[in-house]
Amino acid sequence: MLNFDWLSGVSQETAKMIFFSLYLVIGGLVLLIPNDYVFEGIKKEERFWYMNLKIWALTVLGILATIYYIF
Amino acid sequence: MLAGIDYFIVIAYILGMLLLGLYFKKFVNSSEDYFLGGKSLPFWAIGMSIVVSDIGALDFVGVSGQAYRYGVSVGNFDWVGSVPAMILAAFIFIPYFWRGGMYTIPEYLGRRYNKSVRTIASVTWILFFALDLGVLFWASAVLLNVLMGWPIWISILSTAGVVGLYTYFGGITAVIMTDVVQMIIMFTGGFALVYLSLDAVGGWENMVEKISTMGPEYRSHFDIIQPSDTKSPFPWTGILFGLTFVMANAYMIGNQSIVQRCLTAKNEWHAKASMIFGSALKMFVPILVLFPGLMAVVVHPELADGDQALPMMIKSILPPGLVGLMFAAFFAGLMSSVDSLLNSTATLFTKDIYEPYIKQDATDKHYLKVGQITTLVLLVIGVITSPISSDFPGIYVAIQTFMSYFQGPLFAILLLGIFWKRTTQWGGLSALVIGIGFAIFLNVFKDQFFTIEDPFLYISWWSFLLAFIINIAVSFMTKKHSEESLKGLVFSSKILTQNKSL
Repeated sequence: MLNFDWLSGVSQETAKMIFFSLYLVIGGLVLLIPNDYVFEGIKKEERFWYMNLKIWALTVLGILATIYYIF
Repeated sequence: MLAGIDYFIVIAYILGMLLLGLYFKKFVNSSEDYFLGGKSLPFWAIGMSIVVSDIGALDFVGVSGQAYRYGVSVGNFDWVGSVPAMILAAFIFIPYFWRGGMYTIPEYLGRRYNKSVRTIASVTWILFFALDLGVLFWASAVLLNVLMGWPIWISILSTAGVVGLYTYFGGITAVIMTDVVQMIIMFTGGFALVYLSLDAVGGWENMVEKISTMGPEYRSHFDIIQPSDTKSPFPWTGILFGLTFVMANAYMIGNQSIVQRCLTAKNEWHAKASMIFGSALKMFVPILVLFPGLMAVVVHPELADGDQALPMMIKSILPPGLVGLMFAAFFAGLMSSVDSLLNSTATLFTKDIYEPYIKQDATDKHYLKVGQITTLVLLVIGVITSPISSDFPGIYVAIQTFMSYFQGPLFAILLLGIFWKRTTQWGGLSALVIGIGFAIFLNVFKDQFFTIEDPFLYISWWSFLLAFIINIAVSFMTKKHSEESLKGLVFSSKILTQNKSL
């Protein structure tokens, strides 16, 4: 049980899909965060689209998913 | 193996680090300047510092060696083992710590649970960091001696002298800004090695084809997801449960040397951005430390010890000048690890032990001086104790392993502390103590419980789970905290309605 024997029937392909699902869930949660919270600390007139940390996080997650797709 | 130009590069690097670090002395006028950089640092510097302090000279060799033996699956530690945790830290945990004006993670635990939890967590970190310092000095110096013929005591004393001086005078600002340069050097040296190695193996596709046809033991070298019954230490179940859910989060959210950097940010946006920027940089780390190991499978297929992969690649691929740069990259790895340990331990001792237990209500200048003296004392202890580790060959691995066992229970109480109001001080305390005890028990009897060789990922998961359950059970049996005492310490849905008070 401690060795996760009960998951030994799960194939590598299915396991990979579990990881992809995780990235999707995280990406979805990131999208739910309000912009005002993301920009907290920056004056309203100095907020530009490229400073939106949701875009940064989604880009990083996209690259991560690509790496797992390749390998 | 070093040529004249290589010595020149290494010495110029060491002197440059010293001068750069000392430049930041003029910005240190208070304990906040010393421990939190006056809360004035930009995200890019913090992000680079987080990444470089996480890679030591030993990691270069160790990860390359594992890539030689097991293939790309070792990259999980920097990919899925970092990115999701850093995003969680950026958007949830770091803003709480930053807004709360905290200096240490145990300080949060003390406010959320009680003084005992704070002290246990702090003392454990201090002991780990202090022990790690001497061991790190020795192990890295031996490595540099084996790789480049650099005398052991020159490595130790030059690192201690340079890092000690700039950390003593410049505090965390000097640590972070020298880390920036160290990261650039590390990435330049690493990418130069990868580029030339790739050329030597005839390109990526050629390398994949050659390795794939080398025999059945190399068949899964390019599978990042390993089956749950693999003999390697990286089954996907361990990667998902132990690494992604527990160890990665514990490291990025509960490790003082990582979180303290984010708390130096000039505002909340920079604090969050530093983690996400760091996660982007983190994705390049496996290219630097993993790919040379893979390429060594083609260039040097008969190595008995995988840890020889990187040294052999450096010897056979790099020309003079670039060898010096790579050596400077190793030195950068050592320096960035040592300066992190020094400054974080000084912060933990001053804020969690000295201030509450030894001298309360002293002047700010007094605490600044205590932080500086602690830095110096730690450095001396580290240098003096470093040769001891030569008598205990497995001590480096033992210390790292012990720390991994502490992280599961620590993350359990951090997670429940921030997300569940009902968690009580006794729930947190019992979870921490029993969780650590359970992890040690599993480690001692690992042969009877686990089938893989090194089950640290599984142990982290099960000790986390037990600590999580105990925290909930004991919390239900004990008196809950008042709403007032939890203000600003527990996650609130107000975060979604843009209320800054949380």
